[in-house]
This record gives sequence, structure tokens and C-alpha cells, in this order.
Amino acid sequence: MTDPLLQQTLKGVFRLAAPETTLIATACVVFLFGCLHNRRWLWFVVSLLGVGLAAVLAGTVKTQMPPLLTASALIPDGAAEFVRWVSLITAAVLLFVSWAEVDRSNASEYYGCLLIAAAGVSLVGRANDLITLFLALELLSIPTYVLLYLPAKNKLNQEAAAKYFLLSVMSSAVMLFGFSYLYGLTGSTNLTVITDALTKAHTESLNPMALVGAVLVIAAIGFRITAVPFHFYAPDVYEGGPAGVVAQLAFFPKLAGFVALARLLGLLGADVRHIPFDANTQLPLLIWILAALTMCIGNVLALLQDNVRRMLAYSSVAHGGYMLMGIVIASSLPDATGQPGIGGVDALLVYLVAYGMMTIGAFAVILFLSTPERPVDSIDDLAGVGKSNPICAVAMTIFLFSLIGLPLTAGFAGKLLLFVGAFSAPTHTPAMRNLYQVMAVIAAVNAAVGAYYYLRVVGVMYFRTPLRPATRSRAVPTFLAAVALAGATLFFGIYPEPIVKAARKAVPVPAAPQKAVAETR
Amino acid sequence: MTTYAVIRVLVLLLVLLPLLSAVVVPVFGRAARRVSLLLALVHLGLTAAVVVIAVAWFDTRTPISLPSVPTHDDFKVLRFRPEFVPGEAGPRVSSDVGGHTSWTLFSLQNKQTPPGKSGPNVQFYIGVDGLNVWLVALASLMLIPVILVSWESVKEKPGAFFGWLFLLQAGVIGAFLSFDVILFYIFFELTLIPAFFLIGKWGMGSGRRDAARKFFLYTLAGSLLTLVGVIGVVLTNPNPDGTITFSIPQLMVNVQQGLQTAHQKALAGDGTELAAKHATQFWLFLALMAGFMVKVPVWPFHTWLPSAYGEAPTGVTVMLSALMAKLGAFGILRLVLPLVPDAAILYGLPVIGGFAAFGIIYAALCAYASKDMKMVIAYSSVSHLGFLVLALFAFNKEGLSGAVLHMVNHGLSTGALFAALAFLVDRYNTTEMSKFGGLMGRFPGFALLFFVLCLASVGLPGLNNFVSEMLMMAGLFDARNAGVSRMWPAVIAAIGIFLSAWYTFTMLQRVFFNPLKEPEPVVPDVPVAGVSRREFVALGSLATVCLLLGLFPHVLLDTMKPDVRVLSIIGDSARARVGGVPYVYVDDEPKPKPLPAPPAPIIKGGDDKGGKDKKGGKKGGKKDPKAEE
Repeated sequence: MTDPLLQQTLKGVFRLAAPETTLIATACVVFLFGCLHNRRWLWFVVSLLGVGLAAVLAGTVKTQMPPLLTASALIPDGAAEFVRWVSLITAAVLLFVSWAEVDRSNASEYYGCLLIAAAGVSLVGRANDLITLFLALELLSIPTYVLLYLPAKNKLNQEAAAKYFLLSVMSSAVMLFGFSYLYGLTGSTNLTVITDALTKAHTESLNPMALVGAVLVIAAIGFRITAVPFHFYAPDVYEGGPAGVVAQLAFFPKLAGFVALARLLGLLGADVRHIPFDANTQLPLLIWILAALTMCIGNVLALLQDNVRRMLAYSSVAHGGYMLMGIVIASSLPDATGQPGIGGVDALLVYLVAYGMMTIGAFAVILFLSTPERPVDSIDDLAGVGKSNPICAVAMTIFLFSLIGLPLTAGFAGKLLLFVGAFSAPTHTPAMRNLYQVMAVIAAVNAAVGAYYYLRVVGVMYFRTPLRPATRSRAVPTFLAAVALAGATLFFGIYPEPIVKAARKAVPVPAAPQKAVAETR
Repeated sequence: MTTYAVIRVLVLLLVLLPLLSAVVVPVFGRAARRVSLLLALVHLGLTAAVVVIAVAWFDTRTPISLPSVPTHDDFKVLRFRPEFVPGEAGPRVSSDVGGHTSWTLFSLQNKQTPPGKSGPNVQFYIGVDGLNVWLVALASLMLIPVILVSWESVKEKPGAFFGWLFLLQAGVIGAFLSFDVILFYIFFELTLIPAFFLIGKWGMGSGRRDAARKFFLYTLAGSLLTLVGVIGVVLTNPNPDGTITFSIPQLMVNVQQGLQTAHQKALAGDGTELAAKHATQFWLFLALMAGFMVKVPVWPFHTWLPSAYGEAPTGVTVMLSALMAKLGAFGILRLVLPLVPDAAILYGLPVIGGFAAFGIIYAALCAYASKDMKMVIAYSSVSHLGFLVLALFAFNKEGLSGAVLHMVNHGLSTGALFAALAFLVDRYNTTEMSKFGGLMGRFPGFALLFFVLCLASVGLPGLNNFVSEMLMMAGLFDARNAGVSRMWPAVIAAIGIFLSAWYTFTMLQRVFFNPLKEPEPVVPDVPVAGVSRREFVALGSLATVCLLLGLFPHVLLDTMKPDVRVLSIIGDSARARVGGVPYVYVDDEPKPKPLPAPPAPIIKGGDDKGGKDKKGGKKGGKKDPKAEE
């Protein structure tokens, strides 16, 4: 403890987490005083101020890389910044979205839990230690249990809450088990140390224990990103949970899960060869199979759904599969022969942002159109919305077209980058050969399959007569959030440069592997 | 160069104006149709200005030429040369390269590229060349009859209807003008959304929702594979410095130079690289063609078409048949032929051509068996487009120029025929043949217009389709193509033309001759009116343009000549590679330019006659610089 660098590193950690601390502090204030005076607008404003303060701190507090990364629990790199901004903005959007389902009885708890979840996601992005990572993921999960249970009035709600709780705890256990392998192999919980040690180890000889650890970790994170076969909870939870919470549930765990996966697999580093697992073993193939299964099964099962929320649940499973392509691409890079054009993780981040906009937007529209007496459950409940509620219908249509991946929507930009990445992946390795291209074709076919069920909703909204009178919803903030998200989906579809640039700045495309460069010379 | 700069802005407006109109028109509610007619006329005026200037400009361009044994560097002239590219930095220096743009939609570059050098950017790269200029004119012109025939029949939310029509037009024009692969794809897909709503919401029958969905999904499934193919082409043909490019002209050069290097190696005895390139091209060809075969449509991917054409409101069917169907053929012309030329030679005529040839006969028989006039014309369209695809894959000068000309001609004549059916739909709300008979005596004016359009569609000499069909036929008599030992494509195409006369005249006979028979009119007790002035303008102008194009096709052919030459040279070199012989460039351009055959006064006459017909005006404008020569 006498090393000045070590002291500097440990002290600097608090500075690195200032915005997250603010979020949690705000949440504490909201929790505490919520018992005295539970008013929706009051805690809405306070929470929004908290998010705003966190954003100000995130923008102003100057941080630098800790001098000793091997001792630092947090790492303020580009990816961490990106995730922080995304989670802050999402938290603000979700505050607006959830207005419609928050009432006097639960306002403070609801908003407080939301803020803590956002802080959890943001911390996942910068965790550089197994324990920090695990705690950050739990910081995201635990408020979600509360949120799911808060408005649990009927059996369906309770089933959703219980199911999510049990499976989430189970996945945490699996993750800890995987972490114990990583710790056992390297003797450290610090990710930098683990990555270095494992990289050194696998270049000398193949290490099956590391692979076991990796598989366990992937399985546990697969639960959060709803990868098949860890997706079983999604449809039931999405159907039973409150729409606003489901919107959060559809995005935050995915964001956290993918960043955690990329971090654990060492894909966020600047050197593609510096990853803790040998790319020639079956790791890319494993994720490849996971991605292909996830998109195919998600899409096919979504075809069968009549409940719009279950359909969106399976659709989110399918999109998890598309995003896994990004991880596959990134893990293929150690074999790249030239300077890759797409790093994989950058495409994944662009897709994540696009996915967040369209999925949260779709749930916001559903939430806005639902009333306690007439909830929007089946797809038929949306019949004739084009007439009765034209603005909502337009917004929903934009989200659905974006989910299909039609051009001029954000979803297209994300898909395009993933396809380009899959096509530029190396084809000369014996394990994979041209499987990456096959993956792009599978994704294209899946996108076409997916179009079927999304289009069905559009058709129902516009070509059918309303089954019920227009709902007079007063939830203006929810409406505003939906419209803003639709506008953003369209804007970033037409001009994706800002997101693409930000993502590529956050996770620069790694330099070409040294070996390959030497070979070409 | 000021005119040049103005036209640049106008080219941009050709895409932006329909987009703006699509937003503005729905606001007007009941008055929307007048506003949209006005906007469509403004757009036609802009197009006329662009076409007149562009055509005059194209005449001044130096035609490309190659040394008889071209080397690696010589192949860089084999590219499309877009002119009037909006967003171009600085004035044009040379017309050999074509315009560039600096408008980047998003960029995939890793580090800062030096200024003046284009990085791996997806750009808003649009421009005019000889291949797209007349198609844009067609897209601009066809909207007017569409608006006129939808005038009365669209009662529900006319504002939204016309708004979607404009969006459809914007997508089609954008795809025609694009010189960036991704931009092309964006516009190509953009057309799906308006078509989906137009068919599903304003369709005529009870099956309209299913028809709309089927159309959307079928086309989307195909074009997503096209997207994969497009990305594959981009990534397998990087610039010499290793960066990727999305610009079609640059990709063409990269493709040619890469193939040329491989060809030299193959001639020297090492054919592995060429074989590898051919294998890649095969898969890319399949992926690219997936979308275009559905869009054209080529048998057996045509099954979305009867329901979509049948259920759509008549105006929309005109748009679908005249413009949307051309997108598929244009995609083959713009992407498939130049970017995967060897595969187009190897598999184009034998495989796709086989489908197309079967489709010609199959669709003709279907047309003969159809009981509804709309279906007859729909299937005749499939049949004719099969011919067009055959001619494209003949990949020689006659076939290509005939195909491009036929895209315009077929759009005009088929679009006009569907528009003519709106006459019957407005009055009787049916187009079933068994319900009609002897209309010749009932509506002589309508009968005359319909006859002219039918004759044009059949290919009567003097009318437009004759010229293009003859040219395409000439292209098919090319014994050089691999896998074509006999003249079977030409023979099947000829049978197709014969069958087309058979079913068209059968339809005419059943509907217009025989004893008078008419179904219950839409408004009972009111005598059914003849051709109104609105309908006469709509159909008459199209019939006039059909006649003019039949008399003066060389105006169009001259404009596209340099670009068709580029493609045909690409085709020739691909043939040499496939055949394993060295490519020798043969300069078959006649040095002294032949004088335009028709004397000037006739064109003046055409100009006067088509006062409101802008196409006639364009020709007049186009003639003047030629006469001065």
C-alpha cells in the first residue's frame, strides 16, 4: 500500500464513478422521502434532475486512465464512456416512457429503481474487475425484480416477476461459477491481469480450463442477452410485466450483457491478438452457433405469436442473435489478413443503440395505447390505430420498419454494418472457412422472415377498422418519448454518421495483427 | 459552366421534389389531387429541363476508346460516367471520369484519409448518364396519367394516396439516379413502403391486404439477399490501396482491373486466380439476382405479381408495371452486368435466360387463359419483361440498347394500357372480359386509344415497341455467347411476340367486337359517359409519345450509346475471359457520324402537336443542337 501509483489508482476510482454515484444518491433521496410524500410529478422531476446532474458530471469531470490498470476496479475507456452516455440518455427516456404506468402508490420506488438500474448498466461498461462486474450486473438485476413486482396485481404479473427472479439468480450463480475458474487460473480478479495471463498462457499451450470458464460466462450472459437456449423466460416476462419495465428489460440487460461479454472476451482492447482465448479453438464457432440459433428460433417463434408483447419478446431474442454477430466478427479478427474495416464491436454498439430506440419506442406506444380497462395485449387490439390514433400509428410503423431493417431507419444502418463486418471476416481459417459469410446470409433470410410478423402489425393498424374507441390517454410524457424516439430512429436512419462515428471512436477498429502484417511483407 | 451548376441542383430536385410533395400533399385533404397534379407538372418541367440539357451535353462527350490490346491501366475507362452530380466539389475538369460527390452519408474509414481521396464512404452519389436519363423522364411522365386516372376513383383520403404515390416516384427516380450501391439499395427498398400502403389500403378487392403483404415480403426476401450480394461485391473488389468503395463507377474499374490481372495470369498458364474469381462471382451473381428476379419478375418468382396487380387500384398498377418492374431490370443493367460480368456471361443466358424464356411462353399462355383484362395485361407484362431480361443477358450492343429502350417503351405502353382500364373501372367497376362486348360502337374514342396502345404493345412497326423488340431480337442472335449453341433465345422471343399478338387481339375481339354487352354501371340510371377530357389527355398523351418514340427512337439510342458501349466492351472482355482467349478490342464505331435520318420539319410538327406533352418538347429541344451540327 505504499506504492504511490497504487494509492493514486485506488483513490481515483471514486472520480471515475461520479455520475453513477450521483444516480444512486438521487435514488436514495427518492426512496427515503418517497415514504413521506409520494407524488408522481415530484419524483419524476427529482429523478430527471438526478439524471441531468449525472450527465453534467459525466461531461465535466475530467478523468484519466488509472496509472495501474492491474489494480483498478474501473476502466474509463471509450466503450465505458459510450455505455455511460447511452445508459444516461436511456434512463431519461425511460423516465418519460414510464409516466403512464406510475401512480401515486409506487412513484418513488419506481423511479428510484430505474435510476439504480441505469447506474448498474453504466458501471458494467467500466468494470475492470470480476467482482465489480458481478456487483454492477446485480445492481441492474435487483431493482428489476422490484420493478416487476411493484404493480403485480394478477397472476400473470406475479408469474413474470417470479420467473425472472429465479432464472436471474440461477444465471448469476452460473456466472460466479465461471468467474471462479477465471480466478483459479490466474489468481486475480482484475480483468487486465486475467486477460494478460490467459493471453500469455494460450499462446504457449491450449488451456481447456479457460475454455470451460468462458463457456460458463457466455451461458450466464446469454441469459441477459436472451440468447437461445437461455431465452425461455423472455416471452412470459414480457407478456406479464408492466410495459414500461419491459421496455427497460428489453434494453438494459442486453446493453450490459453485450458490453460485459466483449470485456470478458478481451474484445475491447486495441490489439486483436491480445485476447484471453485462442481464436483457433472453438470459441468463435460456439458464438456463431449461438447467434445463428438465436436469430432463427427467435424469428420462427415470433411468427406464431398473437400477443404483441410475446411477439416483441421473440423479436428481441432474434435481435440478440443479430447482435451476437458483432461478437463473432470481433472474435474472428486475430486471423484477419489485412486491416479490417469493421471491428465487430463498433457495429454491435451501433446496432444496440438502434435496437434500443426501436424497442423502447414500440413498448412506449403500446404503453400509451393501453388503459387499465383495455390493455393492448393481442395484435388485434391494435386494429385501426391508424385511424383512431394516427401519430401513434406512424411512430409504431417507423419502429416496426426499423425492426425489419428497412433503409432510412436506424435498424438498417446497424444491419448494414453487421453484414459488412461479417463479409470482411477472414475466410482462410480451417475452423470457420466461409461460415461468416454464411452467417450474413442466415441473417438476411432471418430479416426477411422477421418482416412477416412486423408487417402483420402494420397491416392490422392501417388496413383494419378500429375495434374500440380511441383511448383518451393523458400520459403526455410517454407520448413525447415515443415521438422523440421515432424521430431519432428516422434521423439516424437517414444520417447514421453521428452514431457510427461515436461507436467507432469508442471502440476503434483494432490494428491489423502483427503476424499478418509481417506475412504480407 | 453555370448551366451545368444549375442542372446539378435540378438533378437533386428531381429526387427531393417528390419527397417534399409526399410530405406536403396530404395536408391539402380534398384539394390534394389538384395540388399533386400541379406538383407533378412542375416535376415534369424540371425533368424536361434536365433531359434537354443533359442530352445536348452527352453529345459533346468524347466516346471512350481502347487500344486494340488493352493493358491493366486502359481498363479504367470502363466505367459509368455520371454527369451533373450534386455535391461535387469545384468545377468539372474532365468529362472522361464522370462526376464525384463529397456528400457522405456515413463513413467506414479507420483513419483520416488525405483530402481529395475518397475513403470507404457511403455517399449520396446521384447523377445522370445515358442509361438513366430517359428512365427518369419516364418516371416523371408516368405520374401524370396516374394522377389523372385516379382523379375520381380515389375517394378515401386522397391526400394520403397522392402522398404515397409521390414517395413511390421518389424511390424509383432515386434508384435510377444512384451511383452508390448502398444508395441504390436504399431507394430500391424505399419503394416497398408506399407500394405496400397503396395496395393494402386503396386496393379494389377483398384480398388486397394479403396481396400487399405478399408483395412486400416476397420482394423484401429477394432484396435482402441482394444486399448481401452488394456487400460481397464491395468487399471483394477493393481499391488498389486496399480501402473499400461503394461508388459504382469505381467498383466497375476495380472489377475490370482485378479480372484483367487474373486473366493475364490465366493466359500465362496460372488459372487459379481467375477460377477463384469466377467462383466468387457465381455466388455474388446468385445473391444479386435474387432480388432483381423477384422484382422484374422472372418466372418462377412472379407469383406475387398477379395478386398485387389485380388488387391494386388502377393508378397504382400503372406505377407498378411502368416503373417498379423496371427497377429489377435496371438493377441488372446497373449492378449485375458491370460488377459480375463473367458470371453474367456464364450463367446469365443459360440459367436466368432459361427461366426468362420459359416465362415468356408460360406468361403468354396465362395471359391467353385469363378472364380479366387486368390479368391479361399483367401476364403480358411478365412475358415482355422476360424478353427484356433475355436481351440484357445477351450482353452486346444491340441487346443492351434494345433493352434500355424497351424499358422506356414497355413502361409507356403497359402503363398506358393499365391506365386505359381505369376507364372501365370508373364506369363499371369491373374488367372481366365476359361481361363486355361490342364496346367499339359504344365508346369509339376509347376503342381507338385502346387499339393504338394494344398495337404498340404488340409491336406494330411505327409504334415504339417495334424498334426495341427488333433491337433486342438482333442482340439475341449473338452466337458468341457461351452455352448458346443455337438461336433458341431468339426463337423463343419470336414465339413470344407472336403469342402476344394472339392474346392481345383475342382480348380486343372479345371486348370490342361481338354484340354489345355491358355490365351494370357503377351509377345506375345515368347514361354512361364517353371519354372525358381528363381521360383523353391522360391516354392521348401516352399514345402520342408511343407514336413519337416509334418514329424517332434514335434520339434515345444516341444518348445511351456511349454508356451501352462501355457495357458491351465489358461484355466482350468477359466473353474473352470465359472463353480463355486474349481480349482484343475491336473499334466498330463508324467514324463519320451518320446524319439523323428524319428531316427537321417533321420534328417541328411533333413539337407543335404535343403542346402539353413535354416529351415532344424535349425532343424539339434536343434536335436543335444536332441541326446546328
